[in-house]
Amino acid sequence: METITGLLRGVLGDQLSPTALLITGGLIMALVMATVMALCAIVFTWGERKVAGFIQSRYGPMRVGRWHGVLQPVADMIKILGKEDIVPAEADATLFKMAPFVIFVGSLMAWAAIPFAPGFIASDLDLGLFYIFAVSSAVTIGVLMAGWASDNKWSLYGAARGAAQAVSYEIPLALAAIPVVLRTGSLNMNDIVIAQQGGIWHWNVLHDPFLFVAFWLYFVASIAEVNRGPFDLPETESELVAGYHTEYTGMRFAFFFLAEYANLFLVSCIATALFLGGWHPVAGPVAAPGLVFVIKAVLLVFLQMWVRWTLPRLRVDQLMHTSWKVMLPLTLACVLGTGVWLLATGEVGGLAGM
Amino acid sequence: MTQYLRDIYDAVVTALKGMGITGKHLARKPVTLQYPDERWVLPERFKGFIYNDTHRCDACLRCAKVCPVDCIYIETVGKGKDRFMHRYAVDYNKCIWCGLCTIECPTDACQHSHDYDHAVYRRDRLVYEFVDPKHPVPCHKERRLEMGYYVPNAEAERAKLAARKEAARKKAEQEKPEAGGKDDAPAGGAPDGETKGE
Amino acid sequence: MSDETRTDTAFVTHGWRSEDRPRELHSELLEINMGPQHPATHGVLRLLVRAEGEVVREVVPYIGYLHRCAEKAAEGNDWRQWMVYTDRFDYLAPMNMNFGYAVAVERMLGIEVPERAEHIRVICAELQRIASHLIAIGTFGLDMGAWTPLLYCFREREEILNIFERLSGGRMLYNFFDIGGVHFDLPDGFKEEVLDFVNIMEQKLDEYNTLLSYNKIFIERTADVGVIPLDVAHAYGCTGPVLRGSGQPFDCRKDDPYSIYDRFEFDIPYGEGEMGTVGDAWDRYMVRVREIYESCRIIRQALDSLPEGPIMAPELKKMVKVPAGSLYTRTESSKGEIGFHIFADGGSKPFRLKVRSPSFCNLSVVEKVGPGLMISDLVALVGSLDIVLGEIDR
Repeated sequence: METITGLLRGVLGDQLSPTALLITGGLIMALVMATVMALCAIVFTWGERKVAGFIQSRYGPMRVGRWHGVLQPVADMIKILGKEDIVPAEADATLFKMAPFVIFVGSLMAWAAIPFAPGFIASDLDLGLFYIFAVSSAVTIGVLMAGWASDNKWSLYGAARGAAQAVSYEIPLALAAIPVVLRTGSLNMNDIVIAQQGGIWHWNVLHDPFLFVAFWLYFVASIAEVNRGPFDLPETESELVAGYHTEYTGMRFAFFFLAEYANLFLVSCIATALFLGGWHPVAGPVAAPGLVFVIKAVLLVFLQMWVRWTLPRLRVDQLMHTSWKVMLPLTLACVLGTGVWLLATGEVGGLAGM
Repeated sequence: MTQYLRDIYDAVVTALKGMGITGKHLARKPVTLQYPDERWVLPERFKGFIYNDTHRCDACLRCAKVCPVDCIYIETVGKGKDRFMHRYAVDYNKCIWCGLCTIECPTDACQHSHDYDHAVYRRDRLVYEFVDPKHPVPCHKERRLEMGYYVPNAEAERAKLAARKEAARKKAEQEKPEAGGKDDAPAGGAPDGETKGE
Repeated sequence: MSDETRTDTAFVTHGWRSEDRPRELHSELLEINMGPQHPATHGVLRLLVRAEGEVVREVVPYIGYLHRCAEKAAEGNDWRQWMVYTDRFDYLAPMNMNFGYAVAVERMLGIEVPERAEHIRVICAELQRIASHLIAIGTFGLDMGAWTPLLYCFREREEILNIFERLSGGRMLYNFFDIGGVHFDLPDGFKEEVLDFVNIMEQKLDEYNTLLSYNKIFIERTADVGVIPLDVAHAYGCTGPVLRGSGQPFDCRKDDPYSIYDRFEFDIPYGEGEMGTVGDAWDRYMVRVREIYESCRIIRQALDSLPEGPIMAPELKKMVKVPAGSLYTRTESSKGEIGFHIFADGGSKPFRLKVRSPSFCNLSVVEKVGPGLMISDLVALVGSLDIVLGEIDR
């Protein structure tokens, strides 16, 4: 962000006031992030279909685009743009139309604090991690809006389940990130990544067993947050047709879709930054940091896809049970354990002056 | 408490085992046949679209009678030796590909082909006509032998037909010595006057 | 759709005015349709569900969307022709339907089917049972959210369909059995092909067990869910894996043998409440998995004892005329007991032909067992009953 504002100042000189510069810089960053989100959606829809295909002994898309259907998502986008825009007659039109945007924006906001590479972070907040968890809750409002405004009982079911699930799993999600904060001593995403420099053994995931468990708990909670895999009850096809986005067609549906895959990549990026060392390579000096970061995040996305196509889904009360009775105690235990470990090894580091 | 921990352990372990199986499949070659480029080799008995070889068909109507959905349309004119079939059609809007007609057919005229991809845009294109009305198919055995259509055991039938004609000619000769007729016109050989149709 | 929504049953006690009397709030059940178009109901089935939140209070199945007047058509088609209608009842297991009808008519005629034909029939019926159970397992996993086992099951089913294609020419609807025997003889290499398949099938079953049957999430979703007690199963006429899952090892092949089943050695798997209560969805599912093993055993024995000989009863005339009388015959199809109640009047067409379909009776149990389940469990229940609408509606 600083780079952008610096660039703008250099180009436009002092014609703009600092506020206007800030706003313009922010808009450009938002545009960049939105493009990244769209790219995610395109790449990961293709990836998901291919991974699903090979797991299931079949090919996946093969015909569109020369090699293994790489242009399939482009074809899908063209198809979706051509669809009729239907708003159900009895639906609450304002809420109905706003819901996809609320979900999209909730996801977009969180991208502001992801450290892709040193200096390449949209907004270097000191409260980075806290900010991310706070704004990604906006997605829940969008889900409820979509379900309620659709005037469809099935959508309402899906939305109610989705909201309950999202809210419940935010707690283990945040708590699983606390051990990282304990170790680093700062909520700033850049600091968290920098604290993991020095090769694979310095990454948070391999630092101590409690952090290891915390990583996997974070992983599971993030799958639940994104309504994927074994936790996809709000949008389960076999029960609710399509859950809270049943009544959406065309580009509105595409927004939901886009937001889902962008969310998927988002939580993988957060997990990479928090636990897997961010842009630091496995060994050796920092080289091509952006690429290393993206590769790690993509590996996590692949893992999520693999989990989704293997496991059956949990019923809604089992989902709640897992969140409140299994993951919450385990994450609290991790927090406690990490704290004790850090005290025991004397590495209360990062807490400047304490 | 033990049950609780045991449940967590079971969940994780069985999930990982399941992922092991799907992971193995990730590396294997898929079993899909990519349709227009690669095609399944059809076995001999495959029940494809039914084709009627009109050269062999003699309108015995068994296929039409046995069809459970009445999808075979056969129309004939004439009786006895003058019977000709001028329409044999299979309506594939109704056909269920059960194969009863092919089992019933005594001359193997009605047979399954290996065709299966005949999607059309109009329903009347799915009614397949097998007989050209300008060239109707004879139904009576003698006529078929004369016109060169398939008859089972053609040689034996020809011999029988020749013998019958010979016997009839002899009988006709014995009946008309008083007429002094020496009509050895060959056309008189057959009891009915016939025109040589096509 | 009405837009009544439900509100909580609650007592509003003292409001901010103390003279407010406690009022009871009116509540209604949410009436939703798991409608004819729905990815989870196995066919065109409509389930009217009245639910209170997630918990179902009433389920009413509505059927008839696939009714094709097959029983009425019997009065217009002769005995042999009507065989193709039986193919289309349970279109996932047509050989079993054919078998039932053929056995019924042969019993009325009093003819003996040649040995070779009997063996071929048993092999086909058991292979078909495996194919049908594979779909049952796969779609049950799909209902539970596991997408992959379905495709693995279909991959194995393709092998069976290839065998049937070489045998009869069709992949899904065969018209292979005939009154008095079978239409075609075995092609070359049939025995080896079937033996290969049976060997592979048993290995793959271990894979399915690891991936799905013993997966903790799957067990959580299906154990203790949709429990059908034995007396309820008896009262509603459930047969097949549904009855066996509730603990009773009753199988027409063993307890009322037809054809040559009394010569083969096989066990009847039944539910024992291994993972939960006896008669839960997991038991019914596992009965089907274990029946595949048993079918493989039967196929091996039948292939071993396959004799040479004719494939059609020689004394049968082209036009079959069944002497007057009535008879009810039952055989074991993959879904349960399929019964044919035939009334003949001596002519070439049946006078009346009534089919007792197993899925019809199995589905009726949903009304009794459904209330009290959650909606996800209702899907598990219907999936574990393994119904086929072609059979229910005929």
